[in-house]
Amino acid sequence: MTNETLLWQVRAFVYQQFADTTYPPSVDETADRFEIEFEEAVELYKELHNRHALFLEPETLTIRMANPFSGISTDFRVHANGRTYYANCAWDMLGIPAALHCDAVIETVCTESNKTVRLEVKNSQITNYDLLVHFPLPFARWYDDLVFT
Amino acid sequence: MLLFQSEEWIDKWCKRNNLARGEILTIHQVWELSKLWYHNRLSVDYHGRSVEQVAKIFKQAGLTSEFWYIQRLL
Repeated sequence: MTNETLLWQVRAFVYQQFADTTYPPSVDETADRFEIEFEEAVELYKELHNRHALFLEPETLTIRMANPFSGISTDFRVHANGRTYYANCAWDMLGIPAALHCDAVIETVCTESNKTVRLEVKNSQITNYDLLVHFPLPFARWYDDLVFT
Repeated sequence: MLLFQSEEWIDKWCKRNNLARGEILTIHQVWELSKLWYHNRLSVDYHGRSVEQVAKIFKQAGLTSEFWYIQRLL
């Protein structure tokens, strides 16, 4: 039976690690942080994945996404708090300053023209109002293929 | 969710990928949605959301079309 308190503490730790370092903690790091066995940390990672609280790379224990943060490099670069984060998509690139409650400079590209685009979040306002975000799938289908979404 | 400079580029992308248009939001709309969706994501008290909470956020963001309809928690 899952220790619910510990489960959500681990989730919060993963997010704080992303915020502090721009990358997710390994299972070993999480086990050390909570002074638990490696196997228990593995089960907690899998449970958080099953609950869509984070997403593991298929067949691995590596955290690919803890939205809005991406565990891998992407075309959505978010400069904030002196660090460069990677977001999973056009929504998440704005989710990072929203989650961190900070200003940000975002560098990305138009998906089709491939032109570099830069926008800024400052004092909770956003620049470059002409840009559009396309949501290809309705909400009910987002998790059919999360990477595509 | 992908970023585009204009609707023209979205149509080109949809045609090239043989996909129907989905929902298009302005960057300002997505920023407002992001604040509602992610503002408490780092909190230890964030344990996910109920169907009702998700529906409430979409409504607050003005997203009321069938595209945003939520029947069950994903």
